Amino acid sequence: MIRLKTRLALFNLLSKAGVTLLFIVILPWIIERINLRQVDNDLVGKREKIIGLIGRIGIEPFISSDTTVAFGSYNILKEEFISLEKTNLKEELNDIEVSDRIIENEEISYRVLNYTIMVDGQKYLLEIGRSLNSIQFAQKNINRVILVFLILIILITFITDLQYNRFLLRPLEKITDKLKGISDPSSFDRTPVKTLTSDFYRLDNALRELMKNIGELFEKEKEITDNVSHELLTPVSVLRSKLENLLMREDVDPELTGKIEESLKTLYRLQSLVNSLLFIARIESRQYLLEDSFNTNEVLREIISEIKPVAEDKGIVINEEINQDFQLKDANKSLIFSMFSNVINNAIKNTSNGGKVTIKSLISGNYFNVTISDNGRGMSKEQIDKLFSRFKAKMSSQDDGTGIGLAIAKTIADFHKIVVSVTSEIDKGTSFSFIFPGNS
Amino acid sequence: MNVLIIEDEQSLAKEIALFLKSENILCDLAFTGREASEKIAVNLYDFVLLDLGLPDYDGLDLISEAKRSGSDTSFIIITARGAVEDKVKGLDLGADDYLAKPFALIELLSRIHAVARRKFNIGNQDVNLGDFVMQVQSRRLICNEEEVDLTKKEYDLLQYLVFNHDKVLTRQQLYEHIWGNILDDQYDSNFIDVHIKNLRKKLNNHALTPWLETVRGVGYRVTLSK
Repeated sequence: MIRLKTRLALFNLLSKAGVTLLFIVILPWIIERINLRQVDNDLVGKREKIIGLIGRIGIEPFISSDTTVAFGSYNILKEEFISLEKTNLKEELNDIEVSDRIIENEEISYRVLNYTIMVDGQKYLLEIGRSLNSIQFAQKNINRVILVFLILIILITFITDLQYNRFLLRPLEKITDKLKGISDPSSFDRTPVKTLTSDFYRLDNALRELMKNIGELFEKEKEITDNVSHELLTPVSVLRSKLENLLMREDVDPELTGKIEESLKTLYRLQSLVNSLLFIARIESRQYLLEDSFNTNEVLREIISEIKPVAEDKGIVINEEINQDFQLKDANKSLIFSMFSNVINNAIKNTSNGGKVTIKSLISGNYFNVTISDNGRGMSKEQIDKLFSRFKAKMSSQDDGTGIGLAIAKTIADFHKIVVSVTSEIDKGTSFSFIFPGNS
Repeated sequence: MNVLIIEDEQSLAKEIALFLKSENILCDLAFTGREASEKIAVNLYDFVLLDLGLPDYDGLDLISEAKRSGSDTSFIIITARGAVEDKVKGLDLGADDYLAKPFALIELLSRIHAVARRKFNIGNQDVNLGDFVMQVQSRRLICNEEEVDLTKKEYDLLQYLVFNHDKVLTRQQLYEHIWGNILDDQYDSNFIDVHIKNLRKKLNNHALTPWLETVRGVGYRVTLSK
């Protein structure tokens, strides 16, 4: 992509060069035309003078009727000549042409006027010539001056245009600079860009207004999640403390203890659900910073080392194919941890004794790819379709948890612009693939 | 130790106080920010448990106020607002820890003890566990002058049980303590059981562990008196 500034300068230069080239090509031709016309007019004027002269004094002074055949005269520098001779030509001549004449062994190009007149029953041919040498010389000089002049004009206007364009487009450049690398409206520089161009002024104003509105919306959303969080979690907190205190009393009978335990478990489920939903809401309203830079494989290894005992206990083998390291930038490490952890846990949950979960990472081309696959019970197409929705994903009634783990994983992936795809076949297994944007 | 509990939800404040008193910690209550501000100015507390969602006060201001007047009270923020930046701001202002509601009372207690250990070097002495010795300072477990090879998480799990000895800790409480910052729906799984099983296996390679008990259907307990 070419920058606007460069494009304008380039077009400017090309159009000017084109016009100049046209001038350089046609200007000599035009000047030559003008010069010739002037010479021709001059020659016609001279012809009229000579005809007038012959009318007044007769042809005798030029050609005596018997002896001499022709009359000729030229000036010393051979710039002009006049010749008058008897002719037997049948047709009438009245034209102007360029022809070469040899005068005193010197060939010179002349513009020559040919004209036939009848005097006393005898036909004469009158030729008036004007050397083209002087004209061509003048023309060359004029061409040279014009060429130099044009080039100078081009250079000067090109440079001034360039400077002016740069000055003119500076506000636009500032506006695009402000937009560069903006991931949320709070990091947008709100100071107005100085400009005298109303278009840029309007653009800048509209952008600032837009950013302000989006920022306010985010702020409002954050406030709502904070308030909802407070309103929902405070009662849970009260209940939990009360039940925990009750459990610690020594005078409670065992049957009651069991009931309190059960109530606590239900409360944990509520707490986990509320927390998960708030977690998703917070990610979606961009409350987490994308500022970490870390090796993605290290996160995978950490999760695997923690989950391995659980898998082994279930008789599941974890197959680790983690080789090429990938440095993830502008990400949130704990979110990425949560994303993989949820998907790997899900894989283990859906795989039965003797199964296998494979965690593979590789760099292909510009992209980093993580695949988490199992040979568990698999899913139908309908199940895949609602896999990432918040409440529909629960696989069966004996399933532990809220079934919201995959929705969390998907939200985190979307937040990081990671592409997630799922393939699955019933009784064969499921495979989750994560494609990271290529920013290594 | 004396603690000021600042919490506008009165029943929660009372439950926390009830629990801390049973752990021999003196408690004072403040239900509003203004009340809290006065109490902090007049009394000397070792700890302040601060709820950020007070109706009349920005809880964070209480920390700056206290720090400005030269108080070296330790602040532990407890909040249900859960905003990411509250935590950062609070810790920046000099709060010692941050706990999201709802929390286990045991967790609150262990945070208080952790701050106390860090700040006042209390409770850092070695703990005898049958044939084992837990060296708290260096985070090592020794048996017959030989170090038991534990992962970080396994050590954390054991230390949490040891610090809360003679109490039954539920799987949920253990899970929240070790993996509290990761949100997934594993709270009801056998995650903790598997880790305890592994931990026990490693320990039993060195010596028997009658002090680490499984309490059926509830959780686990470390008994120091045995």
